[in-house]
Formats: sequence, C-alpha cells, structure tokens
Amino acid sequence: METTHILGLLTGILFGFALHRAGFSRCGIVIRGLAFRDFTMLKVMLTAITVGLLGAATLATFAPDYAHLKVKPLYVWGVLVGGLIFGVGMAVAGFCPGTALVGLGSGTRDGLLAVLGGLTGAFAFILAYPWLEPVLIKPLDLGKLTLHEVLGLPYLLTAVVVAAALVGVLVWLNRLEAKASQKQLRG
Amino acid sequence: MITEQAKAQASTLPKAQRVSRLLVPSWLVWGGLIGLAQIFAIATVQPLGVSTAYPQLVGWLVDKIVPGFAESQPYLQKIGAKIGWEVMLITGMVLGAFLSSLLPGGRSTPACDIPNLFRSSWARGLAAFVGGFLILFGARLAGGCTSGHMLSGIAQLALSGFLFGAAAFATGVLTATLLLRRTNNAS
Repeated sequence: METTHILGLLTGILFGFALHRAGFSRCGIVIRGLAFRDFTMLKVMLTAITVGLLGAATLATFAPDYAHLKVKPLYVWGVLVGGLIFGVGMAVAGFCPGTALVGLGSGTRDGLLAVLGGLTGAFAFILAYPWLEPVLIKPLDLGKLTLHEVLGLPYLLTAVVVAAALVGVLVWLNRLEAKASQKQLRG
Repeated sequence: MITEQAKAQASTLPKAQRVSRLLVPSWLVWGGLIGLAQIFAIATVQPLGVSTAYPQLVGWLVDKIVPGFAESQPYLQKIGAKIGWEVMLITGMVLGAFLSSLLPGGRSTPACDIPNLFRSSWARGLAAFVGGFLILFGARLAGGCTSGHMLSGIAQLALSGFLFGAAAFATGVLTATLLLRRTNNAS
C-alpha cells in the first residue's frame, strides 16, 4: 500500500466513525431531517462545514503547501439536474453515498442494499456518460468559480463571514428545537 | 429515540447539571470531528468526497470480469477505474462505522427507525436500493455528493457546492415531507 492509500483509509475510519456516532446508520435521521422534524442532520452538517471552512481557509492562507484544495466546476445543467435527482434519492433511501456505507458497516441490510443500488447507479452513469456529457455537462460550464473570487475578496475574510452566518443558523436551529421540545414536555 | 430520551432526562435535571450536559451536545462533537477529518484530508491529499469511489470500484470490478471495459468507457478514462485514495476512503468509512458499532451505544440499530413509513420490510429494502441508485446517478452527474459538493464544496466556497446543496434540498425536502405524510406519527 502506498502512503496515499493509508491516508485515505485513516481519513475514512475517522469520517465513518463520526457519522455512525452521530446516528447516520439509521435512515430516519435523514428523512426526518429533510422534512424539518429533526434538526440533528442539519446541525451535524453545519458544524462539519464550519470547521472545515475555517480550517481550509486558514491552511490556504498561512500554509498553502498543505492546502490540497479541489474546487469542482460549475456546469450549471449537470449540477442542477444531478442535485434534483440526488435529493429525491436521499429522501427515499434515507441515506447519502457516505451514510449508506455507514449503514453497511454497522451491519444493516438497508445499508447494504443502498450501497448495491449506488454501485448499480454508478454503473448506469458510466454507460450513460457519452450521451449525457454533450447535453448536460459541456454546455454552460462556468468553470471552477468560488464565492470569494467572484466577490474579489480574500478567501479567509469571506470564510470568516460565511462561518459566522452558519454559526448564526446553528444557534437559531438549536433555539427552535429547544422551544419545540419544551412545548412537547408541557403538552 | 435515544437523543430524545436524553433531552427529556436533561430537562428534568437541576439547572447546573443540565448546563454541563448541554455544553457539548453530541451533534457538536461528531460534526466537529467530521470537520477535523476534512482538515486532515485537505492537509494530506484532497478534500473529502465519497461518490467518485463508487464508479471507480465498479469500473475496477467489471474490468476484472470483462477485460478492456475500463478502457472502452470515456467516464472511466476520466476518473480512472482504480483502487486509490477514494476507494480506500470508503473502505475506511465502512470500517469506522463497524468499529463504532462494536463500542457501547453502537448497537440497537433498527433497519428503519420511522414506523409505518413502509408497508413491509421488502418495500423498505426496495426503497433503499432505488434511493441508492438515484443518489449515485445524481451525484455523478453533478460531480459530487453531500461530502464532495456540500461539506467540501462549501468549505472551499465553491459556487457549484451552493447550487448542488440548494437543488438537493429542494427535492429532498419535498420528497421527505410527502413520504412522512403517509405516517401518522408526528415525531
């Protein structure tokens, strides 16, 4: 095994462990989360994004040699249509590609079936790619755009502002949830 | 649900105790750890991204059975039908979830924790498979999933990540809300 393989494995163990501990081996956390009946999914995601955002911007600013960033291109039609399909699948399965693996690792049949469905979907995409590329991927490809580049601001400054907004949403969600649970206890 | 029980317990505790319990809620701990996994990934190889590994693994497997398959498919030429960092990442995720499920509090994982959502275990299994198919097809069309486009995309302030997140949540919220209408329980 090369170093890259070991690093991937270690990162995966950390990521999978945290997702399992947060409760993502069960499908309800995603389905209820998407229906806004449980904010756990949103809160875990927002926390992970905020920490990652501040970490990535700090690395890129002060230790650019250690910032292996990889911005994905904005090809509007593919990202939009792909996202719309993805949302339906996520609600139906109660999993995303990562949490399906967590379901599999914790030994649930549904996790295994979601991963098998995922491998089938990936295979279908491989075969469909020659037809999809000229229609949804090549046209309207705006390239690797980032918010700070579009605004003409430094990455770190924009990251701090966005992170502050995300923390604001987190605090608001937490209050909303506390109020709802108090109501339930009283009622 | 465990978290709801914990919350109900917490609210009956004396105030000082309640505060100490709520100081580090579980979503903050595990969301924070995912954020640290993200920083580790960026500092070593590349940002977190799960869904690329599915077609890579499928391509690698099919190429073993049908030699020359990987070379004949333009998409596999682009991403590589290989066992690299990405496939090691998802292997690690299954392993990490498995390790977590062995530790205290890791078991008791029902197949689906929303009662009455599916009429039979067969229907739930089908939903997991079909949903799994859709999330991978959608993610590959968009160029990323929850991890690559949302956790990593937004951490890099990539506009593609914001668009994917908005599209996925639009149909995800709609589908989940319609699905939960079939159940009569409000939780």
